[in-house]
Amino acid sequence: MRLSQAFSVFFRILSDAAFAERVARLELPEKPAAPAKPAAVPPPARRHEALTLLAVFQREGRLVDFLQEPIDSYTDVQIGSAVREVHRGCRAALVRLFDPFPALTAVEGASFRVEPGYDPARIRLTGQVAGTPPWQGTVAHPGWEVRRCELPEWTGTAASERVIAPAEVELR
Amino acid sequence: MAATFSVGIDLGTTNSVLASIPLGQEGATPEVVPVPQLTAPSTVEARPMLPSFLYLGTPEEVEQGIFRLPWGTPPLAVGDWARRQGAEVPTRTVSGAKSWLAYSRVDRRQAILPWNAPAEVAKISPVEASRRVLEHALAAWAQAHPEAPILEQQVVLTVPASFDAVARELTREAALQAGLPETFVLLEEPQAAIYAWLADQSKNWRKLVREGDVVVICDVGGGTTDLTLVSVTHEAGELVLKRLAVGNHILVGGDNMDLALAQLAQSRFAEKGVNLDAWQSVALWHACRAAKETLLAPAGPDSCPVTVLGRGRRLIGGSVSVELTRAEVVTALTEGFFPPGTLQARPARRAQSGFKELGLPFEADPAITRHLSHFLNQQSGVRPTRVLFNGGVFKSDFFRHRVLEAVGGWYGLETGALELDHNRDFDLAVARGAAYYGRAKLEGGIRIRGGAPRSYYVGIEATGPAIPGIVRPLRHLCVVPRDLEEGTELEVPGDTIGLLTGEPAEFRFFSSLTRQDSPGTVVTNWTEDELQETSPLVATLPPAAGGGSDFVPVRFHVRLTELGVLELWCVSAVSDDRWKLEFSVRDAEV
Repeated sequence: MRLSQAFSVFFRILSDAAFAERVARLELPEKPAAPAKPAAVPPPARRHEALTLLAVFQREGRLVDFLQEPIDSYTDVQIGSAVREVHRGCRAALVRLFDPFPALTAVEGASFRVEPGYDPARIRLTGQVAGTPPWQGTVAHPGWEVRRCELPEWTGTAASERVIAPAEVELR
Repeated sequence: MAATFSVGIDLGTTNSVLASIPLGQEGATPEVVPVPQLTAPSTVEARPMLPSFLYLGTPEEVEQGIFRLPWGTPPLAVGDWARRQGAEVPTRTVSGAKSWLAYSRVDRRQAILPWNAPAEVAKISPVEASRRVLEHALAAWAQAHPEAPILEQQVVLTVPASFDAVARELTREAALQAGLPETFVLLEEPQAAIYAWLADQSKNWRKLVREGDVVVICDVGGGTTDLTLVSVTHEAGELVLKRLAVGNHILVGGDNMDLALAQLAQSRFAEKGVNLDAWQSVALWHACRAAKETLLAPAGPDSCPVTVLGRGRRLIGGSVSVELTRAEVVTALTEGFFPPGTLQARPARRAQSGFKELGLPFEADPAITRHLSHFLNQQSGVRPTRVLFNGGVFKSDFFRHRVLEAVGGWYGLETGALELDHNRDFDLAVARGAAYYGRAKLEGGIRIRGGAPRSYYVGIEATGPAIPGIVRPLRHLCVVPRDLEEGTELEVPGDTIGLLTGEPAEFRFFSSLTRQDSPGTVVTNWTEDELQETSPLVATLPPAAGGGSDFVPVRFHVRLTELGVLELWCVSAVSDDRWKLEFSVRDAEV
């Protein structure tokens, strides 16, 4: 019995497109519904580390507030006393995250001998640059290098990726 | 598996620190393990210190997953962000849980923190708060050393020397719940400070102290002050250290000093007609701390501006500023906190009023040198010869010199030779010292002899005719002598006491940091300072075999285990039965 049924269905599928479609849908038994996942915490998004760094300077030193404020109308004294606070907070963060130190171990103003094969990324030459090294010059700026680059890890959601400082609403 | 590390955990009132030293490595030094923590919502950074603050999130915050850490997403934040939230959202932040563990007038297992928070905030108990901080530290360890599970390591947890048996028991409870191994050891913080000093001097320490030296350890942190005396003696051809005495847990610290300066600055602002709101007052407190450090630095300026920045985007436009001079800061801090005084000076008593708000017993007298002189004065016949400093406050040369000058003045000593030099971070010493002690316990090394820092007394009602309206007087029976060595047991001599079977027997329990009675002594005269009451002891005897109640004559039996756990038992005088006395940490009034 099933054999003749099988043949009749076989030929019908070949000839009748709509029937074939219905068979396809009918075919497999329903998969058991996937067990409902417990309401998961939204997975962390990624964001550019520069935004995390900016958030650190705003949180600890209010750097963005400072840079965004138009300072033309203020006196030096007003700016000066506020800047001390910004300097204190930003400096602490800078030292903790990067620990900067001079790229060249030399005293500013001292004379310095640039050897052949020097690294242009480490020593920038200005003034009468002619001929080939070695050259004698004076150190105008010893440069900066960092000992580490350890930014905090950001684990927020995509919706707040671009927010570097949340708004503050005080409740009474 | 054998332990590969000795781990030291400093569960501090303001900051906790995790340190470790590998075992079996000659010349290794104890080092701090940085702890990843939330420094802002959804921002994780590893820092050497973990502030002991908890911020309890709102349901929305928990749902958003802003508390995510590398190891999971708890419903609260521990650490730097929580500490800052303490100033801005005080109703949802738990701070100072450790000081609550020592406060016997509340039920410390009950959900009471944040103290005075509104009803809808889901509160937690002081024990749970301590547990959460420890859990966080242990998770950081697991992440840093997945190959060395904490349950297999040698772990040392520090407590203030002034913590009594009940506070230590509760700390132990929180620690075991957090996942520390059963074999972990409790170490007193001032001793840990000495071990850190020993770790850094290594073999040279015997050249830096002499027989007969008595070291006073002065530990002043953000909110607490702890004092201890340790002697250096000679035994069997070797120098040994012995802890002589311990002072009370005093709730005064660096934060009080910053607040005092903030008060001064606030009065300056008021003179200018500027009134600061609550947010600005907190910012002022932080600005004063920075000004204090600037002005008191060795080559500091004569005056320094204290600025409160504008709160919104008008940072400069909204800022207000006053000047503080070095002279007035020095005067305010010296007179208030480090007055030289005399050796006989005593801290001012707190005025007792009829009504008292329940809460932590914040100290009435913030003068640290007066507490120090009172403590030293109580140790009759002992003259300190050296001072070891610990705690964040003493990072400043200025405060160390104030104390050295005071002590030098009291005992006629040269301030130059007085200090035991400390060449590492004052904030991290306790954890590092704890790790070093753990290794010394396993591998051998210098150990400080100690034993119980307090003597303990059981209050027994005197027999006699009942007089209406008159409370039966209590006899205070000494059951644990001060300096009882760890790993000893003793039976308290004296008459037996009758306990009723089938009913819980409750004994009031007292301790003393100063008295030195032998077990079995009944104390009849004492001053108010000497005896401090703590949580009562309870034992329940099962009902007698034949039904009905019966009096069983018992004696007290005491055991101080190797791990420093105090056990008290009632042992029957007529049979082999014994019943353990437990601390009843419910409300004192119940």
